[in-house]
Amino acid sequence: MPSIADAAAPGAPGVLARPRRRLSPALLGLLGILPALVLIGALILYPVAYAIWLSFFDKHSFFPAERWIGLGNYARLIRDPEFWDSLWKGTVYAAGTTALQLGFGLASALLLHRAFRGRTAVRALVLFPYMIPTIVAVIVWRWLLNETFGLVDYVLVAWGLARQPIAWLGVDHIMTSLIAMSVWQFAPFVTLSVLARLQTIPLDLYEAARVDGASAWARFRFITLPQLRAVMFVVILLRGIWMFTKFDTVWLWGEGAGAGAEIRTLPIYAFMRTFTYYQAGFGAALSVIMFLMLMAATGLYFRLFWRDEEKA
Amino acid sequence: MRTVGARLGPVCLYLGALGLCAQAILPLLWMLSTSLKPPREVLATPPTLIPAAPTLENFARLLTQTAFVTYFLNSMVVSGLTVLLTMAVGAAGAYSLTRFPFPGRESIARLILCTYMFAPIMIVVPIYILARRLGIVDTHTALVLSYSSFCLPFSLWLLRAFFQSIPIELEEAAQVDGAGRLRALIYIVAPLALPGVIATSIFTFTLAWNDYIFTRILIVSDELKTLPVGVQDLFSAAVVDWGLVMAAGMLITIPALAFFMAVQRHLVAGWGTGGLKG
Amino acid sequence: MSTRLLAAAVTAALLLLTTSAHAADKKVIRLWQTETEPQTMAVLNQIAADYEKTHPDVSIKIEGLAWGDLEKKLTAALAAGAPPDATHGQPITCVSFAAKGLLRPVEDLADSLGKDNIVDAFRDLCRWQGRTYGVGHSPASSVFVYRKDLLAQKGLKVPKTWDELIQVSEALRETKDGQVVRYGLTMTGAPLFVNIGIGELLKTNGGRLFDEQGRPTLTSRQVIELLDFYKKLNGVLPPGWTGHGYLDTFANLANGKAAMLYQAYGRGVGYIEKYAPKELADPDHYAVADKVVGPSGKSPAAQLDCEPWMIFKDAKGGAEAVDFLKFFFRDENYIPYLHSVPIHLLSIKKSTYKNPKYADNATIAKWRPWVDMQEKYFRNDWIKPVLVTDWSDMQKPYLLEVMGSGILVDMVFDSVKGMPSAEAAAKAQKRVEELLVQGGYLKK
Repeated sequence: MPSIADAAAPGAPGVLARPRRRLSPALLGLLGILPALVLIGALILYPVAYAIWLSFFDKHSFFPAERWIGLGNYARLIRDPEFWDSLWKGTVYAAGTTALQLGFGLASALLLHRAFRGRTAVRALVLFPYMIPTIVAVIVWRWLLNETFGLVDYVLVAWGLARQPIAWLGVDHIMTSLIAMSVWQFAPFVTLSVLARLQTIPLDLYEAARVDGASAWARFRFITLPQLRAVMFVVILLRGIWMFTKFDTVWLWGEGAGAGAEIRTLPIYAFMRTFTYYQAGFGAALSVIMFLMLMAATGLYFRLFWRDEEKA
Repeated sequence: MRTVGARLGPVCLYLGALGLCAQAILPLLWMLSTSLKPPREVLATPPTLIPAAPTLENFARLLTQTAFVTYFLNSMVVSGLTVLLTMAVGAAGAYSLTRFPFPGRESIARLILCTYMFAPIMIVVPIYILARRLGIVDTHTALVLSYSSFCLPFSLWLLRAFFQSIPIELEEAAQVDGAGRLRALIYIVAPLALPGVIATSIFTFTLAWNDYIFTRILIVSDELKTLPVGVQDLFSAAVVDWGLVMAAGMLITIPALAFFMAVQRHLVAGWGTGGLKG
Repeated sequence: MSTRLLAAAVTAALLLLTTSAHAADKKVIRLWQTETEPQTMAVLNQIAADYEKTHPDVSIKIEGLAWGDLEKKLTAALAAGAPPDATHGQPITCVSFAAKGLLRPVEDLADSLGKDNIVDAFRDLCRWQGRTYGVGHSPASSVFVYRKDLLAQKGLKVPKTWDELIQVSEALRETKDGQVVRYGLTMTGAPLFVNIGIGELLKTNGGRLFDEQGRPTLTSRQVIELLDFYKKLNGVLPPGWTGHGYLDTFANLANGKAAMLYQAYGRGVGYIEKYAPKELADPDHYAVADKVVGPSGKSPAAQLDCEPWMIFKDAKGGAEAVDFLKFFFRDENYIPYLHSVPIHLLSIKKSTYKNPKYADNATIAKWRPWVDMQEKYFRNDWIKPVLVTDWSDMQKPYLLEVMGSGILVDMVFDSVKGMPSAEAAAKAQKRVEELLVQGGYLKK
C-alpha cells in the first residue's frame, strides 16, 4: 500500500537529464496534471467551497429564501445536544470499527501469508465482503439477524447460547450489530493492504533470524512488525477517516428501523439536518465541522506517529 | 525437535483458514438458500438452511418482472466509463507528478490527501446543483462525473506511488540509448506499471460500482438506476419479497466473486509492486 | 497509453452528453408518485400510453418512488430548482408547499371529478387560504387486524380500549418450552409509522399535538397517558419491535408469530395471501375491528393514507399534467388503477363505488369486510392524515419539519427505554418549540 511518506517527501528523484526540444519538462508536467486538477477543482473544491459558503446562511433546503447569519449555525451547533450525541456515536463507531478491522485484518493477512492448499480460493473469498455493494451486504445481514426468521438467532437459541432471540436491530443492540457488520465488510481492505506488504518482505531476513535461533514470536515482533509499520500507519489513517465519514452502511442499516436514532452518527445527522429537517445551512455547517475535525485529527496523528524512516 | 507450537501450528492454521472462509461464506450461503425458497418457506420458522422445495421462481420473477437486468447493465456501463476517465486522467497526472518538476508539485500531492477528508455528504447537494446548472441531472454523465469525485483522488494516489516505484534511471538509460520519451514510456514504463494499473482499475471499478448516495440523489428515472439503488428500491417496495431480493443479491455477488477470484493474483501483486519503501 | 485512453474517454463522455440530451420534439411531463408495486406501475404506464395516443405531442413519464424516499427526492429537486411537474406527497407536505407559494391551485381538477362526488373529509385534504392545492389519488385508512380464530379459541372478546388491548395481547401470548412462539400483538418501529401511530393513538385518547395558537401540547395529560401506554405496549410486543419494519409486522402476522396487528393496511392482504397458510388466508381468520380507544377519549380514530396530487406552480408542463390527471380519474382508467392493489387503493369518488365494474374483482369480493371498515371511517370522519389530530392542524405549515425531525419518535423511544413519561414529554416539548422558533413559526 503506497505510503503517505510519498506524499510529503520530496518525491521521485531527479529530473530527466536530456533537454527537451519542444516543451520544457515543467510545462509538460503541468499539462499532464491539468485534467486532474480541473476535475478535482470542479467536483470537489467547488462543492466544498459552496458548502462552506452555505454554512454561513440560514437556508431552507428547498425554498429559495436565505438569510446571512455568519457564524450563527456554528454557535447553534455548539449548543445542540444532538450534535454532541452524534459526535459521540460517530466516534464510538469509527474507533470501534477501525480497531476491530485492524485486528481481524492483520490476523487474516498473517494467516493468508502462510502457504497452504486452497490458499488462492480462500483469499478470493476473504475479499468478497469488501467487493459487494453495501446494500447487498446490509440486506443479507439484516435478514440473517432477523430475530424471527433469521439463522443467527435460531442457532444461538438452539445451541443454548441465548435464552431468547436477540433483537439485533432493536434499540439495545443495533450499534453492536452495525459495528459487527461494518467490520465484516471492511476488514478485507486491511487484509489486502497488509498481505501485499508482507509479500515484499525479503525472506532472507527470516532465514537469518531462524539461523540465529529466534522464536516465531520474536521473528514476528522484530522483523514483521517493523516492516509493517508504514503500511499500518496508512491503513489506520485511511480506515479511521473513512469510518468516521461513513454514510452508506450506517444509513442503510438503520433505514426503516425504529432504532435508527441509536446509530445517528455525525454524517447521518448532517444528512438529516439537510434532507429531513430541511435546514440546509445547518447541515452544511455540520459537514464543515466534520471536515475540520478530521484535518485536526490527521495533523495530530502525523505529529505523533510519523517517523522519518518511513520514507527511506 | 518439533515444539508443541510447531505441531499445533498447522492445525491452528487450517482452523483459522476455515474460520475465515466460514465468516465470508455464511452470508453467501444464507442468501443462496433464501433465493431458492418459495415464498411460504422463506417465512418458515424454524428457518431451514437447505430449502425443502427449491425453486427458481424468484430468479424468474426478478429477471422478468423487475428492471434488474437494466440496473446491472447501467452499473457496468457507468462504472466502466468512470474507470476509463479516472485512469486516463489519473495516469497522466500521476506520471507528471513523478517525472516532471514543476512548481507546486508537492502542494498538489498534499491536496490529494486532503480530498480524502471530505465526506461525500458534504458535496452531494452542491454537486446536485452543479449538475442542474449543466442540465445533466438524471443522466449517466452526471453519475460518471460524481463518481470521479471520489475515484480520481484514489487512483491518482495509487498510481503516483506505483510510478514512483519504477526507477527513473530506466527511462533515462533508454533515452541515453536514443529512445524518445514516448518510446521509453511505452516500452519501459508501461509494462512495469501494468500490475499497478490493473490493481488500481479494479479498486476504482469497485468504488464506482458500489456507490449509493450520489446515485440516490442524482437519479430518479427507473431505467437509469444502478444496482445499489435499484436493489434498495426492490427491498423497500411496498410488499417486500425476501426471496426476490436475495435472488438479486446472488446475481450481483456471483459475477463479482468469479471476477475477483480471477484477478486476485493481480490485485495482491499490484499492491505489492506499488508497495512501500523501506 | 494515456493519450489514446484519454481520447477514448473524451469521446465516450461526449457521446453520453449528446445522447442524454433529449431531442425535444415531444414535451415531457414528469409525474412522481408513491405506488411502486410492479402491477400498479404497469397500469399507470398503460394509462400514460393511452393518453399519448390522443395527445401525440406529449410524453408522460411516471416515476414510482418509495414513501420514505419521496420527501428527500423532492428536497433535492427543489433545492436545485428542478421539481417534477406533478407529484404525490403527504397532505402536510402539500400544505407546507402551498403556504410557501410553490403550488398551482387545482380546483379545475377537483371539479372534474364531479361536485359533491368526493367524500367530505377528502375535499379539504390540501387547502390553504381558501383554495384547493391537492387532489387525493386514492384513500386508505389503517386498520386493526386480529386473528378471529385465535381469539375465539381462548374465549376472548375483541378489545375496545387501550387497557383491553394490553390484556388481550397478554392472554394471546403463547410459549412452548420456555420460548415465546406467538406474541399477542405486533407493531412497527419504523419512524414514519411511529409518527402515524402517535397521531392515531393520541386522537383515540382525545388529545391534540398542537393548540389553537400553534404551540405544541406535548406535556398535556393525554400525551403522558399515551407514553405510559407505549411503555405497556413494549411489554407485550416482541422484544425487537423497535427494529421491525412495516413489512416485518405483516410477516409476523401472516406467519402466525403474532395474533394481532395494530397498524395494518389493505396492502397487507396481498402479503397474507402470499405467505399465510392457504386455509387461513381469508377475512374470517384475519378479521378487522375498530381501533381501540384511550382512557381520555371517546371515539376510535385511524390514520388517513391519501397522498394528494399537487402541481408545481413554476412547472412547464403544469397544464398538461392537470389534463392528464383528469384523464387518469376517468372510471375506465381509474378502476384498473384501483384494482392493482385492491383492498388498499380505494376510490376517492363516490360514484366509482356505485360502478358495478369496481365491485367486479375477486379480491374485493373476498375481503369486503376490510373495505367496509375503511369506508365506515371515511363516512364518520374518524380519519386524519399523519400528525394531524384536528383538521385545523392542516393549516399549520410546519408539520412537515416536525415529522422530518423525528422528535416525536424519539419521545416515544425515550419513554420505552425507561425515561419517565413526563420527562420524555417535556424534553420533546422543548425540542419542538425550539424547532418552530428556529423556523420562524413561533415567537419565543
